[in-house]
Amino acid sequence: MRRAARTGLAAWAVVALPLPAAAADRAPPDLAGFWSLDTTPDATDPALIAKLPPDTVVLDDTGVAEFPSGEFGGLKLKPGAQAAAAKWRPQDEMTLSRVCAAPSVVYAIQGPFPFEIYQTPTLIVFKYEYFDQVRLIFMDGRAHPPADAPHSKVGHSTGHWEGDELVVDTTHLAPATITNNGLDHSANVHMVERYKLSADRRTLKATQWFEDPETLDNAGARYIQWQKKDGSYVFPYDCDPSFATQYQAIEEPAETGR
Amino acid sequence: MLGKSLLAAVALCLIGPSAAQAHHSFAAFFDANKTVKLRGTVTDFHFTNPHGTIGLDVTDETGKVQRWRAETNAPVVLMRRGWARDSVKPGDIVTIDGWVSRDGKPYLRLRAAFDANGKPIGQMFGQSDG
Repeated sequence: MRRAARTGLAAWAVVALPLPAAAADRAPPDLAGFWSLDTTPDATDPALIAKLPPDTVVLDDTGVAEFPSGEFGGLKLKPGAQAAAAKWRPQDEMTLSRVCAAPSVVYAIQGPFPFEIYQTPTLIVFKYEYFDQVRLIFMDGRAHPPADAPHSKVGHSTGHWEGDELVVDTTHLAPATITNNGLDHSANVHMVERYKLSADRRTLKATQWFEDPETLDNAGARYIQWQKKDGSYVFPYDCDPSFATQYQAIEEPAETGR
Repeated sequence: MLGKSLLAAVALCLIGPSAAQAHHSFAAFFDANKTVKLRGTVTDFHFTNPHGTIGLDVTDETGKVQRWRAETNAPVVLMRRGWARDSVKPGDIVTIDGWVSRDGKPYLRLRAAFDANGKPIGQMFGQSDG
């Protein structure tokens, strides 16, 4: 029986051996470059959408669209999140302390701003134009840090390849908006993104999935795609909070008779 | 809300919600179904992120002046649409149109801007984000 098992194992190895060699020969797709949001209406990728977990609602607010106050695209809010969203007023954001507060990548990556990707076998860097955010995607097999490690707006990301798809797992995100209209995620939000290239390698397609049981009764996701633009680069954002004072200065409109 | 005295200088019109664009809580902050068109004198132009702004003194037919402020897309976006730091200068006569803020203040989100001769300043917004 032991011999039979060995024989079986040897036969399996003969069949299987060429596969790792072939896989080793095939480098992962090169995602490096400058990517600008593709605003094609109703763009989607059914194969990526099919990989989203059950009980996930796909939000229709990618890119230039946004939900008005009180609308959350099918996300099911916990009572506490619902109450907080009901209190939120857009004017609350127009203050010196708030206007340059960067969102987390849960909201930021779907906006109408470009980003650059730099890729190595062990580290992938996403450099975003929006709020100058930079993400390090660790591809070296490391785990996320302990739960009580510091959180940030870009969080801690690890990645791996599943065939030609880059899968990025992100935790340690500081609380921030999900939909830019009063709904905030908690510090325990968990995000998984899946990226792949189109056949011509000029379109980058992604799903962004997130769960936050402290805030939501279901999970959310977005489909996002970008077009490659050769020779372009992200500009510095360098947010200037005096924008808020310009708005506040018109609380009492300057009106004079002449 | 707009005063009666400004009606001569202001034209409100209805547009489709699909024209709404850009970020910074657009849908919550601005009315995607109501635009305003104004002609006035530029008082200041701020070309900084998260949004640029144009201050504009608008004079109605009775001689009353009201200060408006137009919020633009982020300058990182403006630069890809042909705008520069000196595209608009204090003292310039310009015509602007955009979506009015929901709070009733003389504040709008810029959709298009034209110089004194009616020539477009940069590209119209909402056509080539990024």
